[in-house]
Amino acid sequence: VSCCCCCCVLLTAPGAAQMAEWNAYYRNEDDEEEQEEGEQSGGDYKITGRDSLVFLVDASKEMFIKGEDGQPSNFDMTMQVVRSVYASKIISSHRDLMALVFYGTEQSKDPSKSFKHVYVYHDLDEPGAKRVQEVDALRGGKGAQLAAETMGSGETSLGDALWCCANLYSDIKLRLSHKRLMIFTCRDKPHEGDSVKDRQARTKSGDLKETGVIIDLMHLMKPDGFDVAPFFRDIISPPEDESELGLQLEPCDKLEDLQKRVRAKEQKKRAQARLHLCLGEGINVAVGIYATAVTARKPAPIRLYRETNEPVRSKTRTFHTQTGSLLLPSEIKKSQVYGKKQIVMEKDEVDAIKKFEDPGMFLIGFKPMERLKRHHHIRPAAFIYPEEDEVKGSACLFSALLTKCHERNVFALCRCVSRRNYPPRFVALVPQKEEVDEGKVQISPSGDTLLGSTKEPNGKIQVDKMKEIVSKLRFKYRSDAFENPVIQQQYRNLEALALDMMAPEDTEDLIMPKVDQMDQRLGPLVQEFKDLVYPADYNPEGKPAAKRKTGGAEKKPKVEVPEDELRAHVQNGTLGKLTVPVLKEACKKFGVHTTGTKKQELIDALVDQLGQ
Amino acid sequence: GNHWKPERHPSSVLCMDVGFSMSNSAPGEEPPFELAKKVIQKFVQRQVFAETKDELALVLFGTDSTKNSLDQDGQYQNITVHRNLMIPDFELLEEIEHQVHPESHQADWLDALVVCMDLLQTETKGKKCDRLNISLLTDLNTRASSEQIDVIIENLKQAGITLQFFLPFPVEDDEESGRDADRGSPGHPGMGKGLSEEQKSSVDIVKHIMLNLDEENGLDEIYSFRNAIEQLCMFKRIERRPMAWPCQLTIGSCLPIRIVGYKAVTEEKLKKSWTTVDAQSNKKDDVKRETVYCLDDDNETEVEKDDTIQGFRYGSDIVPFSKVDQEQMKYKHDGKCFAVLGFAKQHTVLYFYFMGTQVIKVFSGKDDEHAGVALSALIRALDELNMVAIVRYAYDRRSNPQVGAAFPCIKKDHECLIYVQLPFMEDLRQFTFPSLENNKKFTPSDTQLSAVDSLIDSMMLLEEDDNGDQKDMFKVHHIPNPAFQRHFQCLHHRAVSPSTPLPPMEPWLKAALECPDVIAERCQGPLEEVKRKFPLTEVEKKKKLKTSAQIFGKDSGEPDAKMAKGDEEEDYNLADIAEGSVTSVGSVDPMLEQLLSNKNTAYFMKSITCIQAFREQSVKLGDANLYNGYLQSLKTSIPNRGLEVFWDLLVQGMISFFTAGFLKIIFPLR
Repeated sequence: VSCCCCCCVLLTAPGAAQMAEWNAYYRNEDDEEEQEEGEQSGGDYKITGRDSLVFLVDASKEMFIKGEDGQPSNFDMTMQVVRSVYASKIISSHRDLMALVFYGTEQSKDPSKSFKHVYVYHDLDEPGAKRVQEVDALRGGKGAQLAAETMGSGETSLGDALWCCANLYSDIKLRLSHKRLMIFTCRDKPHEGDSVKDRQARTKSGDLKETGVIIDLMHLMKPDGFDVAPFFRDIISPPEDESELGLQLEPCDKLEDLQKRVRAKEQKKRAQARLHLCLGEGINVAVGIYATAVTARKPAPIRLYRETNEPVRSKTRTFHTQTGSLLLPSEIKKSQVYGKKQIVMEKDEVDAIKKFEDPGMFLIGFKPMERLKRHHHIRPAAFIYPEEDEVKGSACLFSALLTKCHERNVFALCRCVSRRNYPPRFVALVPQKEEVDEGKVQISPSGDTLLGSTKEPNGKIQVDKMKEIVSKLRFKYRSDAFENPVIQQQYRNLEALALDMMAPEDTEDLIMPKVDQMDQRLGPLVQEFKDLVYPADYNPEGKPAAKRKTGGAEKKPKVEVPEDELRAHVQNGTLGKLTVPVLKEACKKFGVHTTGTKKQELIDALVDQLGQ
Repeated sequence: GNHWKPERHPSSVLCMDVGFSMSNSAPGEEPPFELAKKVIQKFVQRQVFAETKDELALVLFGTDSTKNSLDQDGQYQNITVHRNLMIPDFELLEEIEHQVHPESHQADWLDALVVCMDLLQTETKGKKCDRLNISLLTDLNTRASSEQIDVIIENLKQAGITLQFFLPFPVEDDEESGRDADRGSPGHPGMGKGLSEEQKSSVDIVKHIMLNLDEENGLDEIYSFRNAIEQLCMFKRIERRPMAWPCQLTIGSCLPIRIVGYKAVTEEKLKKSWTTVDAQSNKKDDVKRETVYCLDDDNETEVEKDDTIQGFRYGSDIVPFSKVDQEQMKYKHDGKCFAVLGFAKQHTVLYFYFMGTQVIKVFSGKDDEHAGVALSALIRALDELNMVAIVRYAYDRRSNPQVGAAFPCIKKDHECLIYVQLPFMEDLRQFTFPSLENNKKFTPSDTQLSAVDSLIDSMMLLEEDDNGDQKDMFKVHHIPNPAFQRHFQCLHHRAVSPSTPLPPMEPWLKAALECPDVIAERCQGPLEEVKRKFPLTEVEKKKKLKTSAQIFGKDSGEPDAKMAKGDEEEDYNLADIAEGSVTSVGSVDPMLEQLLSNKNTAYFMKSITCIQAFREQSVKLGDANLYNGYLQSLKTSIPNRGLEVFWDLLVQGMISFFTAGFLKIIFPLR
């Protein structure tokens, strides 16, 4: 994450449960997902339109020159980046549209057949398996060969290329919310001083920008440096941040840098919510809330018609069991059962009790940073950033608040209602420095002096030995270093099926410890440490010997309960004492139909049936 | 105690004095009976919603009648076991509400205590030894025969029964009351003209018992009615036992350490969800939801569920992929694990990387001192080096593995690792924000900065008291989840008084969410200064295009006045709808009919936008009839025209309309 100057919001719900049940979380993962999705992904995403991204790649000879020491050529690097963006879009936002266009080619290919030396490799569409494969084909030495055969390198007219891209956009009938075009090139004077072509390119880029397309330059390294000023400065969109002066950016010569730069631009900043941060009566700062990380999930399955493999739509209807007529909202109510009591409410009452106040953040006060405990975390953090377009003056007050909070090492505690009819939560606004400077990190004092005796008296030797182990296995944490093996596997499988591959590509499980390497690095340290902490006859992998048995052999759950006993439980309201398997068995036995699997649902069903 | 230790579920007896002296009170004060009744009501409410398996019995004494198992030879008279040990429910709440009245006898509170002890012992016989508790609510205004007191204490100790007293007046430590004699007892409500002789001697007995049971803290378990009500006001969070997760922390292949994890903090969800019932019968069996599948053709041909298969999207491709195949090909792993991948500097793992909705505390394995030593060495090494362990964590074989960071945490009385989930590459949204610091336009001046400075000064929630101890004036984690409190308040109200409207939010809850009064007062000046120093002006939007989402996002009860204003033209433009912007609707019917003839979800959405605008317009004109009339006719034509899908979209929470609710909401605006 390229760090920025803004606040980190840590969302904490008041009264978060301490030590909750494991099962509750794991079993209900599905329910939870739905809720979280709703809250995190931001409601406006689906409705406002698609995002689009056009890669406009220079295919001139210069792009194919290999770097020193066998470094990949600029073209190769670009294809790798395009490939990774395709693949990641498929996972994160498959509905975005992408195109890949080459300019400076010998051959020409475009839907309107009216441009020379422009090759539309992929027009604007959702990326799919085939496209990923086709981009793959352009990578490496073979890829350069294929490119030379199919497209070749020829004259350059960036104006034509941009015009062609403009046509791609206008051919799209869908509503596009965000349009971006990235130019990948290592030539700062593509037309070699041909002023007519330069002017034409400027005009076309102006047209594009006018229709809301943002043009970025991903300039790549060339031997004598890349000068943005003479030509490209007028082509690209002005940077949104005036101080940044994107023009001064160094050209990329490493894949990693390029990847980062593309990634940073490729996603549109989407505020999850825009709110007022209310400091007091009449002091409202407009802010947007941005998530830096949103849990990517396996895609939901869709249903297909067996005969044709076409997707089918599902319709859910609510109707009256007896009359069969559709039920209107006014004809249904909501109900919950506590104990033996049914409590009924109108649907709008159910909504109304969730409402506390209108969305917004309300300042309560400030607390020193050390009051914010790591273990209070209950949901991912987000950034907030002022929205000067909404309330003028927001940025200045926000900036002042930020500076002072940072200087005094305090955070702001706010009550936050993120959406309509959401209950309030408390959030901590934590000032975030613009950059994390490794040099400034304090060397911590030895912990022993500060702390009183702990329950396990621990010798210094053991700790020191462990310190050696820790130091041996030290690495630099990068948040983007770990792919999710579950999701990757799912997509490899789909890819294999989509492309009729024999077997899915192997995925490396990056979150598996590299045990052999670790053992090798640690060498004798492990044994030395074990000698210090474990007695000779201790088996850390076994059960502890000292465990007391509680009365004989472990009881197998008695699955069946006599009917009268069960009725007594119903009568006394003590069904809760029985275990879920017993309850399920009881449901079966009495022919109680229940769709629920939660304990309470089983109990409710049994009470319904037997309590009458 | 240590909150990670599992709590055992207690069985308890509420033993309430309903005798005649409980109705006496000084003028202007609530009689002790009413206060005591409130205490037990709040207590039972809490239990009902917490759905604990704790069992509860209710014993009344001072009753006109007698009903208890010790009733013999004229002993233990006027003591009624109202309810035996049972899980509390609304019935009990209603009984308390309607059947517990002040009565006209008196009974010895020690006798009542004995009845409760007997009840607990007989009814929990043969059951697992749970915590047993008796809560006695009385004004102590009866003569207690103290001969048997030592036998009683001995019995309580043996049975492991704890006692709590709830009295109309506070009881203080002898030493303390000596010290605080000046502002002492007589002024306290409930004391009336001071204690009676009976009360005084009873208080001595109470103290004697409590100190015998627990020399240290015995007197802490004597509460006054008033502070009990305040404390019980907050519905206790729904109880959940912490569950242990035993596992091994591994470093490489040969260094395992036995550990046990506990979920420390997680966002709580309500246990129960709403079920849909028929409005007339209140039965859920009368309502059926059915999902049908249909092809995306003009006729919307329905297909059987059995004729459909599962598939997935891979970008633009649709890939049939059966559940069986999916299961077979999916990512599999070895199950439960907590394996170190390596160690990293703490400062490289930043707050905004924290993922997930929970935190896990990791301790060394139970009853295993060697694991304790090993884990402690790791915790201390990490702490001293300022590092964290990056680990692979999997709860079990069925759940997905995570990557996370384990931070060292060293407290006075315990040490542990704190595990937080970190993002995967796929989860990251990378974007940059323009710098605020380097932007001259937004750089605050020195006077502006000092205004913010004094605001921070005035709003510090942490204060040092005279002893140099820090006092937190706003402990977030002590505030009960307001959504639950409100939810239960409304449920309780509806359960006990089904036909009345829902009550307003309780004042204490509202107050708990606000900035403390001291702060609110103190920051007035600095806030004014901030207001003066930082001009803030709302940017006037030209004619902001509203998407349907934004329109629907609005509370349907409060149509946005701005939106309708300025749109004088009454004619309706299809292009506007196509843009997703509908601000005024003139002749709505033909347009809608045209839109609806395309049976396509996109058009449906536009139609809904259109209907919404129609509604807004109706609001503006103050005429709901047109709108309601149209919708009525639309509804009747639904089956004929095959517009069920549209209707479903419309009714599924998008618009509230033409019910009484709509009219109610709309007309007060005029």
